[in-house]
Amino acid sequence: MKGNAAFDEFWYKNGRWIMGAVAVVGFFLAWEALLTWLIPLNQFVMSKPSLIFHGLWQDVLNGNLASDLVVSAKPFLFGFVAAIVVGIFVGTMMGWRLRVGYTLDPLMTALYASPLVAIAPLVIIAFGVGVPGKAILIFVLCVFPFVFNTYAGVKSVDQLLVNVVRSMGGSSTDIYLKVLIPSVLPYIVAGARYAIGRALVGILVGEFYAATAGIGYKIAWYSDMFELSRMFGYIFVMMVIAVVFTEGIRWAERTAFPWRTGM
Amino acid sequence: MVAYIEAKDVNLTFTPPNRAPVTALKDFNVEVGEGEFVSIVGPSGCGKSTFLNVLLGLIPPVSGEMAINGKRVEGPGQDRAMVFQEFGLLPWRTVLNNVELGLELQGMATNERRAICQKFIEMVGLVGFEGHYPHELSGGMKQRVGIARALASDPEVLLMDEPFAALDAQTRDIMQAELLRIWDEAKKTVLFVTHQIEEAVYLSDRVIVMTKRPGRTKKIIDIPLPRPRNYEMRVTQEFNDLKLALWNELKDEINPQGND
Repeated sequence: MKGNAAFDEFWYKNGRWIMGAVAVVGFFLAWEALLTWLIPLNQFVMSKPSLIFHGLWQDVLNGNLASDLVVSAKPFLFGFVAAIVVGIFVGTMMGWRLRVGYTLDPLMTALYASPLVAIAPLVIIAFGVGVPGKAILIFVLCVFPFVFNTYAGVKSVDQLLVNVVRSMGGSSTDIYLKVLIPSVLPYIVAGARYAIGRALVGILVGEFYAATAGIGYKIAWYSDMFELSRMFGYIFVMMVIAVVFTEGIRWAERTAFPWRTGM
Repeated sequence: MVAYIEAKDVNLTFTPPNRAPVTALKDFNVEVGEGEFVSIVGPSGCGKSTFLNVLLGLIPPVSGEMAINGKRVEGPGQDRAMVFQEFGLLPWRTVLNNVELGLELQGMATNERRAICQKFIEMVGLVGFEGHYPHELSGGMKQRVGIARALASDPEVLLMDEPFAALDAQTRDIMQAELLRIWDEAKKTVLFVTHQIEEAVYLSDRVIVMTKRPGRTKKIIDIPLPRPRNYEMRVTQEFNDLKLALWNELKDEINPQGND
């Protein structure tokens, strides 16, 4: 390929994602090959990509996947939206009011650091096996990234910029709209990126404990039934959802906040 | 001389958290004529930047009178605009959007303010960079934006708070020459704060030397160098004599241990 300018340019532009894609495809091919030729496949403890995608296709065709996604989406949405609203409010208060910040910081840090997923059974017992229980579990897991990122964002607002707007005759509203919100927004969106991952864990665990439908329920159920291909199919769907969400947010950050370097 | 900027007996005291109160300015007086370029030099921490913030209307003084063109200063106003040492550009706004900030806050229609801002972007030599974000600009270019932004809202007085202190030496030389050109073009009264003696001599009609804290006026030195000024003047005997005279006033005010 030496001296091939067209190829060099193509590789410069696309090499990065091609290398990544090779790793992903290679992983599945190696998995398939290993269980086809090297290790005898015991379908009670293992599966392989061809069976997984075949099973997943069945779940797509018969509508199970779609209806499970809808069931899981509901508590996810309620919990996540509540976490955004409450997290931004609490984080803003902590950043604005020194004493609120001092008071809540240690408690919030401890709660953020603890493996809150451990209280899933308790939450389900307290709030029931329906949508509210799972929504609350997701809320509990997701609210802290929003609290801390909003807190950090509000604290990092550049006083100089506030003074610039003030010196040009800007009102409080101008300071909110032209300085505070644009300063804090990138922090909140970055918080959403962390929160998404926690929310997906929350929905799975919530449904493991108490559900009659949904992605997490189906993963547990297929596992109990030794339908490992179907189980892996659902896990694969969760993986795709997680990647789409986090990469989607990353893309939105680059598009909406082009002034943020190094993102 | 009729004073265009007039500050009389300005006193300012502030109390840092958990510390004793600090007197930043004591009976400080400034008089600047219309269209004049006046610099304030003083040791670090003497309150010269603080005075600009007081005059800008961001910090209310404890006592004293300030007026621009006979109009009392009470809080921020459109008759004054500041060029900040650390530029103070909004990072999420392009060059054009930064320059139009003042007019936008005044509620001017978009088309109208764009036309005005384009004129000032040309004046500071940033044509072609209107859509760039601050992080894509060099320090000198950032301060060009800062100057254009201050001029765009058509203030009567331009306040400059060590505007070139964050720049490297060569960029600073270029920006000083640029500032003189822009000043000549825009015809504004300038009050310029610096800690650099050479910069003060090169740019100013008069230089006010401040004492160490609490800041008072120690001496006012006229700079009778002809205008337009050029770089060659900096190596003349007259220029160096003026520098020396300024240094002689300033040296007693500087704490040999460094900043207090």
